[in-house]
Amino acid sequence: MNKLKEKIVSAKKKWEEIENNREPLIFVGAASCGRAAGALELIHEIDAFITNHKIKARVIQVGCIGPCYLEPLVDIKLPGEPRVSYNNVNAKTLSVILKSHLLEGKPHAKLAIGHFGKDTYKDIPPFFELPMLKPQVRIVLRNCGLIDPQDMDHYLAVDGYQGFMNALAMTPEDVIATVRQAGLRGRGGAGFPTYRKWTVCRNAPGEQKYLICNADEGDPGAFMNRSLIESDTHAVLEGMLIAGYAIGASKGIVYIRAEYPLAIERLKHALQQMRENGLLGHNILGSDFSFDIKIKEGAGAFVCGEETALIGSIEGKRGMPRSRPPFPAIAGLFGCPTIINNVETLGTLPNILRNGAQWYTRYGKEGNRGTKTFSLVGKVRRPGLIEVQLGTTLKEIIFDIGGGVQKNFKAIQTGGPSGGCLSEEFLELPVDYESLASVGSIMGSGGLIVMDEDTCIVDVAKYFLDFTQKESCGKCVPCRVGTRHMVEILDRITHGEGVPEDLLALRTLGDTIKKGALCGLGQTAPNPVLTTLRYFRNEYIEHIKDHRCRATVCKDLIEYRVIKEKCTGCQSCVRVCPTGAISGPRSEPHNLDPSKCIKCRSCYEVCRYEAIAGDAIVIRSAEKKS
Amino acid sequence: MRKEKKVTITINNQQVEVKPGITILNAAREHGIFIPSLCTLENLPSYGACRLCVVEVDGLRGFPTSCTTPVEEGMVIRTDTAEIRTLRQEVLKLLLSEHPGSCLFCGEQNECKQFMGTIRKVGVTTGCRYCPNDARCELQEITEKVGLTETSYPVYYRGFPVEKYDPFYDRDYNLCLLCGRCVRVCNDIRLNGTLSFKQRGKLTTIGPAFDRTHLESGCEFCGACVSVCPTGALSAKVGKWCGKPDNQIETTCTYCATGCQVMLQIKNNEVVDALPDYHSSVDKGLICVKGRFAIPEYIHSVRRISTPQKLTPVGYEDISWDDALDIAAERLKEAKPDEVLIVVSSQLSNEDLFVAQHCARHSIGTENIISSVMSDLGERIAPFLNLAAHSHTFDAIESAQAILTIGFDSTYGYSPLGISIKKASRKGIPLVTLNHFESNLDLFADCAMTVNSSSWTTVLDALIDYVSTGTLNKPLPDRLKVEIAEAAKLFPKDAWNVIIVGPYAFSVPEGKHVLERILTLRNAHGWKVIVAHPYTNLNGMLALGVFPSLKPGDAISTGSNDTSERAAINLTLVDSAKPKKVVYLIGEVPDSFIPECDFLIYQNGIAAEWERKPDLILPSALFAETDGTVISAERRILHINKACDPYMDAKPDWWILGTIEDKMKKSKICYTDMATLEKDMKKSMKGSANGKKALSFKDIDVIGQLTQHTGRDKRFTESRYRGIPLRYVVSGMKVIEDRMETVCEEREGV
Repeated sequence: MNKLKEKIVSAKKKWEEIENNREPLIFVGAASCGRAAGALELIHEIDAFITNHKIKARVIQVGCIGPCYLEPLVDIKLPGEPRVSYNNVNAKTLSVILKSHLLEGKPHAKLAIGHFGKDTYKDIPPFFELPMLKPQVRIVLRNCGLIDPQDMDHYLAVDGYQGFMNALAMTPEDVIATVRQAGLRGRGGAGFPTYRKWTVCRNAPGEQKYLICNADEGDPGAFMNRSLIESDTHAVLEGMLIAGYAIGASKGIVYIRAEYPLAIERLKHALQQMRENGLLGHNILGSDFSFDIKIKEGAGAFVCGEETALIGSIEGKRGMPRSRPPFPAIAGLFGCPTIINNVETLGTLPNILRNGAQWYTRYGKEGNRGTKTFSLVGKVRRPGLIEVQLGTTLKEIIFDIGGGVQKNFKAIQTGGPSGGCLSEEFLELPVDYESLASVGSIMGSGGLIVMDEDTCIVDVAKYFLDFTQKESCGKCVPCRVGTRHMVEILDRITHGEGVPEDLLALRTLGDTIKKGALCGLGQTAPNPVLTTLRYFRNEYIEHIKDHRCRATVCKDLIEYRVIKEKCTGCQSCVRVCPTGAISGPRSEPHNLDPSKCIKCRSCYEVCRYEAIAGDAIVIRSAEKKS
Repeated sequence: MRKEKKVTITINNQQVEVKPGITILNAAREHGIFIPSLCTLENLPSYGACRLCVVEVDGLRGFPTSCTTPVEEGMVIRTDTAEIRTLRQEVLKLLLSEHPGSCLFCGEQNECKQFMGTIRKVGVTTGCRYCPNDARCELQEITEKVGLTETSYPVYYRGFPVEKYDPFYDRDYNLCLLCGRCVRVCNDIRLNGTLSFKQRGKLTTIGPAFDRTHLESGCEFCGACVSVCPTGALSAKVGKWCGKPDNQIETTCTYCATGCQVMLQIKNNEVVDALPDYHSSVDKGLICVKGRFAIPEYIHSVRRISTPQKLTPVGYEDISWDDALDIAAERLKEAKPDEVLIVVSSQLSNEDLFVAQHCARHSIGTENIISSVMSDLGERIAPFLNLAAHSHTFDAIESAQAILTIGFDSTYGYSPLGISIKKASRKGIPLVTLNHFESNLDLFADCAMTVNSSSWTTVLDALIDYVSTGTLNKPLPDRLKVEIAEAAKLFPKDAWNVIIVGPYAFSVPEGKHVLERILTLRNAHGWKVIVAHPYTNLNGMLALGVFPSLKPGDAISTGSNDTSERAAINLTLVDSAKPKKVVYLIGEVPDSFIPECDFLIYQNGIAAEWERKPDLILPSALFAETDGTVISAERRILHINKACDPYMDAKPDWWILGTIEDKMKKSKICYTDMATLEKDMKKSMKGSANGKKALSFKDIDVIGQLTQHTGRDKRFTESRYRGIPLRYVVSGMKVIEDRMETVCEEREGV
């Protein structure tokens, strides 16, 4: 214990040296999203720059701070000045920024997005006052993008592991009581009160108990868990210690999907640090609590995010869900009492144990306490990772935080392939477990996909159902066969071969699958279809009766043609057409040959953006064939 | 005895009392309430995949499956509401949309059944009439019971080719419902693991990993999967198109000494299939490929001998039984006692053996009665008999504290033993295997020793050394040192250590020395020994005195602990090299150990081909065609029950021998009827036949030996019944035994 306390003291001193730095510091967001945007190349350039100019500056790699649309983010902190953040940096702008801010000491306000001090600084607004950040309440994400996740001292300096030390000083029962008072509900999607599962496990007979962190994150496009692990690894691990202590487990396992190599690397690194500092192993920090954590990688199956399938996968078997009873809390991994918690649930625990249950209840509302991270993606102006209080309305999220939609808002999809699509009438809906369930959707793990008029809702339903069908483990009849029929029907509808009976068939199938399926994957698979049938019925009817796809997505229902009156003959479309379907000499209206057209949209987009005369190429839904 | 407390539950407004902890499904079935289910099966762990057995339970949300939910005190259950009925029908409709069941709802199916019987074997199953499982299919049954009269979903035919390349059973996965029964029985009951689910979503199917054939994947061809399959997806090649059997008869399989019970399926007086009996206390239904699949093709082989025949200068002539037996009696009478040699098979029933030795001793007056057991084992006969006669019962494995297998592989035989060993190993009991190739139990072993048989005595000596002194004192060859040390440590002193001796242990050149060391471990150190061997009724031979100088009952222990009580077999009485006047083979084929003779009588079920043509051929009835008893390796007296009439003119061996004795008129008692035979036979078994006391043997002394062995002999490992190799009449046996040969050669130790 003392060794750690000493380390905390020195860590805080180290952090102070960052807050009051004597030499320039350069922060680069280098989590997966930053890297995808080119952060590593930028770091390379920065290193070259400071070497060439013989500047004594240090580069610190931080995690993801949230606004993905601003990546790559490069922050410069000169001694005595606040940290200034530059967005969407590329090689060209980087050299301008480095020259101006680093070399000449002049922050470049035009290229900067915000700073991390208080009040405006040299025409640069405070970062957390930006419209995307201001409404957010960042509890789980409090360190993301601000600390170096690979440097344990940073974590310790911002009161890391304080929550765990508080927990150790209490009895496990008191820890569970704290979590109960805080009102924490599982953030993996089900929203089950965390303390209740823990209590069952705590009271279950058995010497060996397991705590599993579910980092499988299978929802397509969801990245909340990945971001948290990459940007603030220790927060999740501290949560595992707290949970393990509360339920009486001696072994912890992080089940993480193999498609997250950077997160896995961060975890391995952090676990090593924990062991070196006596936070894992026998008699942690001199207490009776012994705990160690192993990493188990997934093998590419969405269904392995389901509790019992996950357990099967760790046991070395095929990941197929099992019937309950028995519940994992009583007989789970290798027949022992097991608790499976989501990454975010675990990431919240250190904050609750550090600041107290009362503090946590300040956020959210009765029955839905606290905050939730969401990945806000799709047709919003400001996509990224956000964290808001439960009870925030969809409107606030999409329009205040997300900056609204460029064209016209059509729908918002919540909860991934298990959730539903909600239309504009639900914008005032507060985001909490019960409200979303009452309209046929679910909160899920936090995916929010915004769609505009260019999205075909039938195509979206088909996409999700196709995903679920491919990922179905094949064990139970309703899911394996039922989703197949639903996909087949939707496929026909999108190809213009739908019949009116299809809508009833979809409803019946959806109902059967919901009632009959064995696990959560099957039981929620029909949700996208059922909600879209409910709220966007007209679009289905248009596809079937009128053979029309109003979003011009379903290829068999649309055709492309050139409006000769508007075509200037600029040849831009001719250049981009991959099949040579458009032809025509310069300065004369072009021809589009429908038999060669593969409807790739390249010509439409090229013409539109550089349109001088307007839309010379239109996509129009085919008229109903007689 | 305390009466088990019951719980009270309410099913469909009816209050009933049931055992606590059973599933709702079983509780309902006990009280005559029908709940359909496809993926459940007695003895298999519950699964909950087909979703047909859903019910409503107060307090549990949704529709839980009754096969996975245990009952609790006060539970309120509804099994037949309108919503449940609709859900069941919908699920069944979905199931049928992936199954080519076109005949299920056809209006003309009755006429079709009556008049179009030959469309069955078209090769592609698109409906019930074309399916091997027609009239005995669980899916047909459930569709009827659930009351489905139509299906509204398009049927997807997956288009798999029917898999016929593996022996014994075909697989048509177009009919597969993915109920998972075969996977569960293969993995959880048989502990083999050949089958598993592959892929996911609509591509899900079942089979061995990596697209290997069943043969390559180590499938034991035990047919457990075929017996549990509810549809025609898995069907045995023999009897595939026979339809529903007329009846079934339970009998004992006589292919080896284990004594498994098989349920022979009879159709039109023919054995068409053999199913396991999971309630059997002998084998618990864990039969091997031979009992499961190799019976019909042997019993109904085209090579069966149909009538008695005598050899004439122009070939064989069919003669009547009377004439044939007259000839035999005459020849035997006119020869002097030491000019006659009788050779019996160890696979004959007790009745056959009793009359054979009676004929030899009382009508012919000779002790020249031998069997291939004696010639196969040569100089090893003494230790072998002593180990086999006192073989421990198989339950020793469950109670073992450590297990050693020598020369034992349970892929294609001795399954109850093999699976028991696997189970014990899973529970944590240390297992050491000693073989000259990688046996199928090696994966379960804590220490798998794959060494050439020339080193086996070294290993066993080291083990004895360790067990006697607690350390390894003798010097060991370097390459074995580590392994032996590792293995020896697993066998604590004075513990319940069990050895399973397999056929390879006595087939290797060092067999005698290996067996003698095993005797030491048993006698000096109290280890329990179980011998797995193919000599079905060896214990019957011992009990009924079918050895030279051993009379009926001589070998049976009276129960007194008098160790001076010993039985003696004197092989020197038989001069098997000297040419004879008459050699009489009963259930045996001629071999190198048979001397030259003037007159050869061949009494068997199947004709064998060899240079010396028999002078008289007598057709025997085989085990499925007569009643009788055998004594298994565990010394259980098991019944053979007649399942079908003997082939053409074939007669039981005991009747043939009894009638010959009658014609010879040398003995006062002749056994031509079963009642007298049974009476005298039981008398000679000194009360153990009536179950009054358990059968056990004295120690046996063997003087002399019939042959001497060198090299490795295939005779122990090639399966035979009554001298005929099974591969001769059962095509699948050739395939698997060839594979076993390859395995032995490829993965040999140094």
